[in-house]
Amino acid sequence: MTPLLDFFSDPILRPSTLGCMLMCFASALVGVVVFLRKRSLIGETLSHASFPGVVIGVFVSALLMPFSDELISLAILCGAFLFAFLGLKTLSFLENKARVKADSALCFVLASFFGLGILIASRLQQTYPLWYKQALSFLYGQAATMTNMHILLYGCFSLVILGFILYFYRYLEAVNFDPSFSETLGIQSKRLDEIMFFLIVLAIVIGIRSVGVVLMAGMLIGPAVTARPLTNRLSYHFALAGAFGVASGFLGNYLSVVIPNEDYSLPTGPMILMVSSLFCFLSLLLAPRSGLITRFLRMRQFSFRCSLENALKSLWKGERKVFSPLILWKLKQHKWIDPQGTLTPLGKATAENIIRLHRLWEVYLVDYMGQKVEKVHRTAEELEHLLSPELEKELTELLHNPRHDPHHQPIPPANLEAP
Amino acid sequence: MNPYWGKDFFEFFAVLFRRLTGQLPLDQLTTDEVQMVVLMGVALSTVLLGTFLTLKKMTMMANSLSHTTLLGIVIAYLIFFAPENDLMIGPGMLLVGAVVSAALTTLLTELARDLLKLQEDAAIGLVFTTLFALGIILVTVFTRNSHLGVEVITGNVDALHFEDIKLVWSAAALNLILIGLFFRQWVLTAFDEKLSFSLGLPTKTFHYLLMFLTALTLIAAFRAVGVILVLSFLVGPTLIARQWTHRLSSLLFLGIGLGLFTAVIGVALSRHFLSVYHLPLSTGGLVVTLISILCILSLTFRHSQGLMRD
Repeated sequence: MTPLLDFFSDPILRPSTLGCMLMCFASALVGVVVFLRKRSLIGETLSHASFPGVVIGVFVSALLMPFSDELISLAILCGAFLFAFLGLKTLSFLENKARVKADSALCFVLASFFGLGILIASRLQQTYPLWYKQALSFLYGQAATMTNMHILLYGCFSLVILGFILYFYRYLEAVNFDPSFSETLGIQSKRLDEIMFFLIVLAIVIGIRSVGVVLMAGMLIGPAVTARPLTNRLSYHFALAGAFGVASGFLGNYLSVVIPNEDYSLPTGPMILMVSSLFCFLSLLLAPRSGLITRFLRMRQFSFRCSLENALKSLWKGERKVFSPLILWKLKQHKWIDPQGTLTPLGKATAENIIRLHRLWEVYLVDYMGQKVEKVHRTAEELEHLLSPELEKELTELLHNPRHDPHHQPIPPANLEAP
Repeated sequence: MNPYWGKDFFEFFAVLFRRLTGQLPLDQLTTDEVQMVVLMGVALSTVLLGTFLTLKKMTMMANSLSHTTLLGIVIAYLIFFAPENDLMIGPGMLLVGAVVSAALTTLLTELARDLLKLQEDAAIGLVFTTLFALGIILVTVFTRNSHLGVEVITGNVDALHFEDIKLVWSAAALNLILIGLFFRQWVLTAFDEKLSFSLGLPTKTFHYLLMFLTALTLIAAFRAVGVILVLSFLVGPTLIARQWTHRLSSLLFLGIGLGLFTAVIGVALSRHFLSVYHLPLSTGGLVVTLISILCILSLTFRHSQGLMRD
């Protein structure tokens, strides 16, 4: 087991660790923009479209200067950038000029460019097997062979992305959250899309080294989706997505180094993506406001409160009913009943308040909504759990503090002590 | 001895013609012919499905499937205890793999969208990348062979068997039968899902069936030609044919014709490059490039004629 700190100090492990973190940070930031514009799948197409550029980059640089590792990486970056950009242009031509539907255009550009890449790579296979392997390593990402030079290069690119986002932050905010306002300011969403496409291409170019061409789309989407349920503010969304990106970059790389033994090796890209997807899954389930489990728990909590209040009501009415131990325990917890099971003054006040809400609502339905008297009980039975003290006050004023409900039952007076 | 050995593009067709007219023994198919027959089967299936996928604006779901079939295949391998390091696929594995990948992809994408309240594009992207990553990790762990992941994408024509013909053409037959039998229903669900639903058609079933058939075709073809070629076949011919016709029947015939044409030409070109320039090029890659070139030509031609729709 390699100690965690070694990943930042060891001269062999450090470049790949930092590299993965930087790349995932950059793609996470760009991912937020893409996610908010609802164009997540464009990353998938453009990352595949960059593949022929990678292959040509390997080919050309290896032919011209076979021993310079730095120049090869630079050539790969340029090639990838060029072809991703070309893919983008083809995409917009197909969509706007040739009137091809968006999904067909995406799929077609993806398959065509990637097929071209594979064709060129197959040319390398027999004559230059070493370069062929190097080109193919970009399919699933290869972090292990990174050097300090790469860190510098990718660090600069990440800074460029960060700078762009900071510079255009107001833009992004305006266009995403108030399109008509931004139009009156003269900001066009088209302009934003151009910036976004540029950022995507940049993020892809630096990301394919660690995550790989095939899974790049996932890294653009994952952190943005993870952060979304946790915040409603754009700045926090960026910050959180960046943090999740960095974390998945580190953990994925860490796991792909620590887990394998001599029998097999784990590719870095898929591991990073699995970590990022795990974060995503957890966030979608457990987010405080909108997580699936939290939503479910809130629903259960509410229905429990309803049955608790119903139990209290039947106690107040003196009905003889058997309550579940959980309800009884909770009633005692609230000090609504004493240990012998009789209502305390507090319990009585609370119960009267619920009855009051119920009957007030019945009056309102009959007097103001013209409902039939025999029909209002059921609705009131549900709404008594929902009416807030403010609404009660409004109702009291509106109905001139009535004494009796439509069924000629007395309405308990407003009780200031009740919760 | 392969009679196509050392032949260039035109000689290739001369040999093919002689063999077809029976002047040369047909008892044993050569690799070139196996390739051709397999590719034609793939073209037939994919253009059939691709037309409906395009009409239903679901081609990116096909892209999802092209990634997740890897996981389906891995699971099928684990179920059937197939030997490691061997990519032979029997009919049973084909069906299991297709069902697993189609079900996982569609259901998880729908769950993410409806239950986890994720926007559609993000749901699609998240599900298939995750499943694909899982597939890659499982493949490397179980087969101890990290090269398989590459082969899934590029295909490996050298490893073609006579079995592949059976596999690909049985998938094609199944596609033909299922689409032919319910042709009117398919057309209706593709063009107007709401109307077909209100007429009482099981539109959901057709949706899942389409996903299943796509996964089936992808798996049947992946060993021979790789998933990317299938994707290109799914959208390319339909996209080209769409510029020339507005009728569904001619769209289908034109698309299938284009698919078969590029399949044959692709194999011949691949042989040509090998014979004349001694370049072993990926046949799949060649066919994809051919389709793209045809598409560019067709677009430029239609553009210059000014016949593009406004």
